[in-house]
Amino acid sequence: MATSVIQLFMNGGPSQVDLLDPKPALEKFAGQPPSRDLASEIRAVREAGGLMPSPFKFSKRGESGIEVSEVMPHLAKQVDDITVIRSMFTPHIAHESSLFVMHSGRMFPGRPSLGAWVVYGLGTENQNLPAYVVLDDPKGLPINDIQNWQAGFLPAVYQGTRVRSEGSPLLNLHPREEWPSPVVKLSRSLLRHLDRNHLSRHPDEAELEARIAGYELAARMQLAASDALDVSGESEAIREMYGLNDELTASYGKRCLMARRLVERGVRLVQIYIEGQIWDNHNALVKNLGYACGKTDKPAAALLKDLKLRGLLDRTLVVWGGEFGRLPIAQQPASGEAGRDHGPSGFSVWLAGGGIKEGTVYGATDDIGYKAAVNPVSVHDLHATILHLLGMNHRELIFEREGRSERLTDEFPARIVQDIIA
Amino acid sequence: MKGTAHNAGRRRRTRIAGASGSGLKKGWFILGLMGLRVLSLPAQEGEPPSFDGDVLPIFQQHCLQCHSDEARQGGLSLETLERVLAGGDSGAVVVAHEPLESRLLVLINSGAMPMGSPPLEPEAIEVVRRWIEAGMPGGSAEAPVSEAAPPAREREVMAAILGAKCLPCHGRRRQQAGLDLRTREGLLKGGKSGPAIVPGRPEESLLVRRIRAQEMPPPHLQEQFSVRGLTSVEFEKVQAWIAAGALPDPEEPSESDPDRVATAGSKVRQFWSFQPPRRPVAPGVKGKDRIRNPVDAFLLARLETEDLGFSQPADRLALMRRAYLDLTGLPPSPEEIRSFLADSDPRAYERLVDRLLESAHYGERWARYWLDAVGYADSEGGVSSDEVRPHAFRYRDYVIRSLNADKPYDRFLIEQIAGDELFDYKAVQTYSPDQLDLLVATGFLRMGPDSTYSTEQNNLPERLDVVATQIEILGSSTMGLTLACARCHDHKYDPLSQRDYYQLSAVLRTAYDPYDWLSPSMGCIGVGANCNDTNTRLLPLPSDSELREVEEYNAPFKRKIAELERQLEEKTRPLRKQLLKEKMAALPESLRQDLKEASQAKPEERTPVQKYLLGKFAETLQVTRAEVLQKFKDFAETSKEIEEQIKDEKKKLKGKPKIRALFDMGGRPTPTRILGRGEYTNPGDQVLPGVPAVLNGELMPYRVEKPEWSTETTGRRLALAKWLTQPNHPLTARVMVNRIWQHHFGVGLVSTPGNFGSTGARPSHPELLDWLAREFVDGGWSLKALHRLIMTSTAYRQTSSAGPLSLERDPDNRLVSRFPLRRLDADALRDSILKVSGRLDPTRYGPADELEIKPDGEVIAKESSNGYRRSIYVRQRRSQPLSLLESFDAPLLVPNCLKRPHSTVSSQALQLENSQLVRLSARHMAGRVIDAVGEDPSRQIERVYLLALTRPPTAEESAKAGEVLRQLTREWKRHLELH
Repeated sequence: MATSVIQLFMNGGPSQVDLLDPKPALEKFAGQPPSRDLASEIRAVREAGGLMPSPFKFSKRGESGIEVSEVMPHLAKQVDDITVIRSMFTPHIAHESSLFVMHSGRMFPGRPSLGAWVVYGLGTENQNLPAYVVLDDPKGLPINDIQNWQAGFLPAVYQGTRVRSEGSPLLNLHPREEWPSPVVKLSRSLLRHLDRNHLSRHPDEAELEARIAGYELAARMQLAASDALDVSGESEAIREMYGLNDELTASYGKRCLMARRLVERGVRLVQIYIEGQIWDNHNALVKNLGYACGKTDKPAAALLKDLKLRGLLDRTLVVWGGEFGRLPIAQQPASGEAGRDHGPSGFSVWLAGGGIKEGTVYGATDDIGYKAAVNPVSVHDLHATILHLLGMNHRELIFEREGRSERLTDEFPARIVQDIIA
Repeated sequence: MKGTAHNAGRRRRTRIAGASGSGLKKGWFILGLMGLRVLSLPAQEGEPPSFDGDVLPIFQQHCLQCHSDEARQGGLSLETLERVLAGGDSGAVVVAHEPLESRLLVLINSGAMPMGSPPLEPEAIEVVRRWIEAGMPGGSAEAPVSEAAPPAREREVMAAILGAKCLPCHGRRRQQAGLDLRTREGLLKGGKSGPAIVPGRPEESLLVRRIRAQEMPPPHLQEQFSVRGLTSVEFEKVQAWIAAGALPDPEEPSESDPDRVATAGSKVRQFWSFQPPRRPVAPGVKGKDRIRNPVDAFLLARLETEDLGFSQPADRLALMRRAYLDLTGLPPSPEEIRSFLADSDPRAYERLVDRLLESAHYGERWARYWLDAVGYADSEGGVSSDEVRPHAFRYRDYVIRSLNADKPYDRFLIEQIAGDELFDYKAVQTYSPDQLDLLVATGFLRMGPDSTYSTEQNNLPERLDVVATQIEILGSSTMGLTLACARCHDHKYDPLSQRDYYQLSAVLRTAYDPYDWLSPSMGCIGVGANCNDTNTRLLPLPSDSELREVEEYNAPFKRKIAELERQLEEKTRPLRKQLLKEKMAALPESLRQDLKEASQAKPEERTPVQKYLLGKFAETLQVTRAEVLQKFKDFAETSKEIEEQIKDEKKKLKGKPKIRALFDMGGRPTPTRILGRGEYTNPGDQVLPGVPAVLNGELMPYRVEKPEWSTETTGRRLALAKWLTQPNHPLTARVMVNRIWQHHFGVGLVSTPGNFGSTGARPSHPELLDWLAREFVDGGWSLKALHRLIMTSTAYRQTSSAGPLSLERDPDNRLVSRFPLRRLDADALRDSILKVSGRLDPTRYGPADELEIKPDGEVIAKESSNGYRRSIYVRQRRSQPLSLLESFDAPLLVPNCLKRPHSTVSSQALQLENSQLVRLSARHMAGRVIDAVGEDPSRQIERVYLLALTRPPTAEESAKAGEVLRQLTREWKRHLELH
């Protein structure tokens, strides 16, 4: 059973038919116009072209023989560790709404994110570190900003804590100008004295005690967080494996490595985001998808390998995927090479560790990879399954609010995808 | 009675598939909210289960508690086969041979049903599945159901589809090609190319032909109008309706129908909060000496039943601080402390309360609570650009001013719900300040997140979300009702039906019509997005001082732009001439001469030949910018530079001031229907504007009266406002009184301020709540009188130090046996830090202060020359909350917040210890202290305590602080010597 989750969030919507869901039929139908239903889901109607086969070659990899695209050579080596779900679907074609769905189950902001629910349900194993850590890209926040990891109506303590991989990791972890340490010590001791005095006048106020403890935690956190996030002590072999020596992979690799260090120390849920819209390949598919894979494939595979070597994979669920997939037709911008537009009706994610079957494929899209056709999996199903792997029942993980029983899956029908559980 | 059989038949119908199985395949993408999928299970051999023998026993065990003929939750009974087939309010629950399409199976399979009970065993689910697969056979003697039931709401479904796909161009606002598709008559009449439909003959219907060819909706316009092509399911439905003879539009309900105003049964109205509050007599108590007003009597009577009394009075300065923070959100200054201590008048405290109520800061403090309740934000939310609402601040200022003026609460509500229906604003040239307020006030229902300024997120589901959000805010903030629950199904716990919900949505329909939508702001985005004065929910601000100010502000930039444009033109002109010459040179000489004469002649004097020539050689005679730039590369560089400058200058221009308002759009809105499961593709009965039936007992019914002066406004919202503010309304006064109490005592008399229904908390002191509600209404709905009443009570003046008895018998202080120890909320904390450090810029009102994002991600307000303004004046962006406020539980307001949570997270400590804002403020505060009292440490310490804590230090505190101060001085000195 899983005790931690690492979510490798692939902002922008990775193209399933070019990565994990081979569709030879696209060769046959290349250039043909889309069906009425597909056409009704096109976002940029004026740039819509005909069906477009993948420019990348797929081949069977590992003992499981799962077909993986040539642009993910590193994942291909770990393919026997993962389950690929090829039949995900989500209800909206815009990034914002789909991100909200993927993170909180609803198309609009304000609901607690999956991570918030998980730490609400399970608490933390390391009092000196935040339970839910978000490693965002130093190049900028994803679409929907901090709303991706909000706690919604859950208490703020469950919201994701943004940890920077460059500079000071936590906001205000250190002041801009550090005071001399005797001064810091004196100030803290005075503060403690004042707090104790105040508490002695209100001995019954448990909350007051917790708030005082918050200051002590903050001081401990300054040490614990700095240690957890410092990758400089890692061996050269590890640095090489995660791609820290290569400019293309260094940034993402560092965050993957930090994620491993965090779950090692009992952090419950780590989300890694990626720069802007790296998977949002509306044009120049070959170049842009190649870049996205080049940046993430090696580190993500290294994380799997590393977790496995350290015996952490059994209790760490790794989830890879974006907010939706892409359409099997070409999107042809006014100038430049074709890409693909958003496709919410069928897309792929992969999961590994934490009780997930090894080397399997679940579900399928139709012949052209447009729509989930066999064993469709909704985002709510995915959420219910993740909670299940963490030992929680999605129907029973409830927060009472203003007389309403709130759940991550709300009243949506959600099933646990038993077939992908080992 | 009219058409009983027909109408009765319409109420509940199901569709037995098989007849058109594919027609029922769910277009789940379009359905939006609900993607329904279940796992296919392997089929089993053997006799199929029957309803009577196999399925009914399962239903009896698990479902009939809520879905019997009597209980009929969600309009569904599972007691007989006939009832099961009839479905519920959300439509059919079983589809023969299609387990995947059968909602009943989906819900039991996911565990969503039975609600609140353990899920069905897998074997039981399998029985139901096989029964559906077999076509839902009844009993042993019965023949299987095979006959298709009458078609369900074909016309309504069709209208919903055409509404979503076609009305943007063929509806009220535009009738492209003379075609109006809103009614059946419109379809039959057609447009320029003839009738749109031929009843009974889909293939001959132009509508079908154009859709089939994918010419409609036109691909090149789809993005701009947030429309997509029809799915195959939708297209089938359109054809099916035409094939079936294009049945007429259903009869509209009549507003004069006496049965229209539903009143819920007397039993459900018994619930405490649905009964009008009556004024109870204040009870007698033993401890009469502690009674200052009836508030005390109610509280003490209850305390005495536990052998408790009030705690000791609070220390004079503690009470002063409490009053200051409660009413103004700021601590008193040392000078104010001194003068209060020196005031020997026995009514000094009462006079202090009066003074604070008159303070302009009162409105700033209490407006914050109201803005939380209405979900105020300075950005639209929902889309990542989180477009700023440049005009929202007017509403914020309106609230502050109204509270400061102690505007009666009933009037306050009427203005906000229907200010635009109180006077003929279209006929007024210049608004008086009061009139302007009436329009600004309607911003109340414009505050929730609204993503529809993005063409990608302006589809029907998102529009319905905007309306739903506003209904939720209206319901929870004014009536303490959780109406959102009734959007998709009848409320599970309260007597609120889907009908109630959609009646309220009909009240808003003339302003928020999902089929005739307006952009929330001018900043719309997306392909072809085009918002202008006519299609946005903004009203112009007719000439007033603000408009002149903007013009004055813009004038220098406009002059600069004009100058730059002139320069650009000056530089272009000779080149254009040169190019023209070259182009002309290529023409024969005679023609050149003729053209020259023609172009020089006055337009009205040109001969036909000259006109012809000019037309024919237009391209030669006109030298475009592009041609010039193409030809003269050097100039292209210069030109680009100047154009960039112009662009930059244009960015500096302030937009025209406008009012973010809600207003009646005039004309007839599209009919409002109950939407099964809240989905627009599942339309049900049409409803007229109305209010929740359960509240209709003793109130004057909701009645729409079109204002006499009005040509357009319907008065629907005004009727709601009047209904809501009746003196004996069961909820309006109670809900507001409760929130005021909550903001003074930390917890309301009803601890769930947004839920006065059966799942909400019961009042801790029902009689006190009712007495306060009546007192509030009878005293003219004055909020200030209410504050005065509460704050001058003995209960409010108690100490917050709990005695042993109070702790033992009233551990969570629900009986108010002491004053609760309260924590400063986010806004009061930030504002107090600024005040004590002397960095609070007192400027009031006006556009929100901009935000600044530090490299480390900290969000702070932009500093003005006088420091920082109060938090209420800082831009409140849903995607970028001020870091300090965010850590301390300021809500994100999606959609609103009636009670802020109190959390303890380490980011709070880190903020207060390390943030630059706090550190700099501390330094400023130190400077102020030295300025005021000089270098003497003990006087400094005293000053710090007075400033920050509204009291002098105790001897022990002073000694400890003195000691630390000495050590700190030493350490700093040593540090500075070393470095």
